[in-house]
Amino acid sequence: MSIDMPSQRQCLAALDRAMEHCQGIVAGMFALRDGRCYAERSRARVPVGKFAAMSSSLMALSNSVMAELAADSPGYLLIEGRTHKLVACKVPRGKVGLIVAVLAQSEVSLGLVLGYARTCAREVCEAEPTT
Amino acid sequence: MGEVHKIVFMGAPGSGKTTCIRALSEIDPVSTDVPCTDELRDLKETTTVALDYGELQLDDGESRVLLYGLPGQERFSYMFDVVRTGLLGAIVLVDATSQDAVQELSRTLACHRADLRRMPFIVALNKSEEAADAIAERCRDAVRAHDLMAPVMAVDARRREDIAHLIELLLVILEFGFGFDQPGDPARAEGNA
Repeated sequence: MSIDMPSQRQCLAALDRAMEHCQGIVAGMFALRDGRCYAERSRARVPVGKFAAMSSSLMALSNSVMAELAADSPGYLLIEGRTHKLVACKVPRGKVGLIVAVLAQSEVSLGLVLGYARTCAREVCEAEPTT
Repeated sequence: MGEVHKIVFMGAPGSGKTTCIRALSEIDPVSTDVPCTDELRDLKETTTVALDYGELQLDDGESRVLLYGLPGQERFSYMFDVVRTGLLGAIVLVDATSQDAVQELSRTLACHRADLRRMPFIVALNKSEEAADAIAERCRDAVRAHDLMAPVMAVDARRREDIAHLIELLLVILEFGFGFDQPGDPARAEGNA
């Protein structure tokens, strides 16, 4: 793995902080851009492998959609269902590239879920490089 | 108003699905490739994580074929659910130079067996130069082992005419029937009763 990547410990710590502050977060995930789980925390049973792969697919499709529409590359995406919300955003660090995805209950506002996801991304970006 | 057909390209990572769509599509293909982070890096730089998409106009000038390429890794198998509706057939690509070519084919067949029993498909042996006949025969065995039926053909995924021929063949199979009439098939048993 690239030395410019945040460590899994740093990613887990960021997810732990988000879940500690917001009880409505059901699961948080750092996934590699090609769809493998890098770090994950959840309060409920979630299919970790699929969650990682789907986060990667969604982000890649979002990129393609925006590119086809001659629009800017998306920094994040939001999906709102009746019972849950999902936010995924890029972690702008390292060549490999990570995606952070946060699944929350519907009671948590979209802004809050997005805020926690972006905070997780920023925290691992600012974390000390590991070897 | 012409018809619109959907065809899906499947197969292990690096088998040539994205290359096929790039060779055949008459529009700029949509791609969702990202850099590989695992051992696949030794084989290629990027991998598809959602789908490839291209379009092809048929000779009647009206009908179009929508071309979908799926990721090869099993963790993305849910993408089949996204393209399943209205699917006409499938092309299952095999990298003939891979040491695990037949096992990779078997994994794809096992993963999508239920769908492949409901539609015509062709096994396309890509990069097959030496020992193509031997690998083709082993691929036929793998298809039979999964209680499926499909022709096995050698192609060069970079050659538009090769892939166009696969599409034509798929349409012919569809037109003239691809029913499962091998021994042991429940439909046949019922039909013979």
